[in-house]
Amino acid sequence: MNVIFQSTYYTLYQAANERCFYVDFGQKMVRMSLCQLLALRHKVMSIDIEHHFDSDLNAHGFEVLMLCNKEHLFVLNTLEILDLKKLVHHSFVSLGLSVETAEFSIS
Amino acid sequence: MKDIARQSMSIKVESMDLLNGQIKMEAHASATYLAMASWCEQNGFFTSAKFFFKQAEEERGHMMKIFNFLVDTGGNPISPEVTGINHDYSSIVDVFESTLEHEVKVTKSIHNIVKKAREIGDFATERFLDWFVMEQVEEENTIRDILDMIEVTGTEGVGLQMIDNKILDWID
Ligand SMILES: [Fe+2]
Ligand SMILES: [Fe+2]
Repeated sequence: MNVIFQSTYYTLYQAANERCFYVDFGQKMVRMSLCQLLALRHKVMSIDIEHHFDSDLNAHGFEVLMLCNKEHLFVLNTLEILDLKKLVHHSFVSLGLSVETAEFSIS
Repeated sequence: MKDIARQSMSIKVESMDLLNGQIKMEAHASATYLAMASWCEQNGFFTSAKFFFKQAEEERGHMMKIFNFLVDTGGNPISPEVTGINHDYSSIVDVFESTLEHEVKVTKSIHNIVKKAREIGDFATERFLDWFVMEQVEEENTIRDILDMIEVTGTEGVGLQMIDNKILDWID
């Protein structure tokens, strides 16, 4: 497997022989197709991190993330979400599917 | 190293995001025209109602065209959430003026995606949108023609009913 991108907590791998990807979430390794990776990207990008700093919108600063058709469930804190956003952003650039060269922004 | 990502998807994610935004906009247009059809029905403009029922269907067609393009290119099409549909119009003129305003907004949005696709070298998305660029020219023109007709006919006396009858010319 080749490393596509590694952030502080997470790593994305490409498994060429299986034609899929693996995300190492620390506590577990999740196998994903590109479609599932796109779905992860959509979910992660839809999270408004500003809500974590407003106790009315997100009282505890956690996000529940369900992946791969509810096969996996993660409860992530603010720092982990920020890191996951970073992973997603840079991974798609590394994969050649995103041209974004500008510095990573949170929004 | 095999490029599984590129083999699975043939457009850029930036284009995909913008096209998902456009899917939402077309769905919103479809729902807005349905609301206009409802208004026309309730206010006795039955031909105009037919016109907007047809427009609503066309906008849904536009949405599906983009949705299927995302499917074909290996993207991740998102079924849109549609909220905030206005049902209040002060007159039939208001309805058509709002329609033109809405279409101009859609045109601008499509031009913006074409511009971005060109910037990032996403030729497939750029060419795909050719049809939409021309479709918008046609749609804006239709509504402008209707507004011209309304202007000439006038809204006094039987004017309003004449306007409604003439809308038939724009329903094929
Ligand atoms: Fe449209
Ligand atoms: Fe339209």
